[in-house]
Amino acid sequence: MKDRVGLGWRPELAAGILANLARIDIVEVIADDYFGAPHRMRRSLKTLAAQVPVTLHGVALGMASSVRVPHKLVDHMARLVGEVQPEFWSEHLAFVRGDGIEIGHLTAPPRTLRTIEGTLKNLDIARAAVGMAPHVENIATLIDPPGSTLSEPEWLAETIRAAKCDLLLDLHNVHANAANFGQSPAGFLVALPLDRVSTIHLAGGKWIGPEGSRRLLDDHLHDVPDPVYTLLETVAARTMRPLTVILERDGEYPEIESLLAQLDRARAALARGRAQNAALAA
Amino acid sequence: MSARLEAFLARIYVETEARERFLADPRTEAAAAKLDADEIEAVVNIDRVGLRMVAESLRRKRAKRR
Repeated sequence: MKDRVGLGWRPELAAGILANLARIDIVEVIADDYFGAPHRMRRSLKTLAAQVPVTLHGVALGMASSVRVPHKLVDHMARLVGEVQPEFWSEHLAFVRGDGIEIGHLTAPPRTLRTIEGTLKNLDIARAAVGMAPHVENIATLIDPPGSTLSEPEWLAETIRAAKCDLLLDLHNVHANAANFGQSPAGFLVALPLDRVSTIHLAGGKWIGPEGSRRLLDDHLHDVPDPVYTLLETVAARTMRPLTVILERDGEYPEIESLLAQLDRARAALARGRAQNAALAA
Repeated sequence: MSARLEAFLARIYVETEARERFLADPRTEAAAAKLDADEIEAVVNIDRVGLRMVAESLRRKRAKRR
């Protein structure tokens, strides 16, 4: 199997994606958009899956939590996976609710052994209901999670080792967290078991906050910055596994050609990394 | 992370009044939420710049969805 490069499915991009399937190897669909959706929407998703490889990506299960993932959401995911038969499904290592309060987005849990324990329980529930384990994604954070006793790569490595899950490695999140908390993104990658990475996310963001305390927000509204392509090249150089790379864009949509050009840059970065990989193996 | 800490963080990320009360007197608010001693120390030493940024980011996301 070869490396593949694709795009996140968004209604605003639908026409551009369907007109350019020759340049898009795979499409990632936000699963939650289809939970409880009308039959015609689900049928159109199955039609899409018949034309191009599809993966389903969850955003609201809240896996990294001591609170059980809501059965209703897990059941929705299981039903959708059963209907669409994606190559795989994925979710974030985030907590999204507490005591009835819906946070409304992904937030980073304190990185402790205790949160790993809660995450493992939730991943077990999801795996049993859906019939396959999700690929789990590292998230971006603007706040250093209070009470953390493990570094982010330590927490991620132990979670995916214990859960026996693949890691969906979001390289813009690696870039953003490293920038925000004074770490080295290359060092982050060295500390991860890259043989467990099968999928990559690329995205862009922007700097926010006053001078002296600026942080990089992963907003998915901007083009992929150069350092993220460099990280992609690094990963491709250090793992033998075929990689599925997905570009995420959630708004301020440019012309489809601009997104396709970013896919081409990702392919070029993969090719450079693979060339280094082959040279090292020779 | 205990369920209590998760709930506490969710509240100060999302609810402006709860966040401002916490920032004014973090130890009292954390104790009132029945966090354990380690959790109280963790939130007393919270990354305040990050807290305000994450709260604003979440507020914007919710406003966009409405």
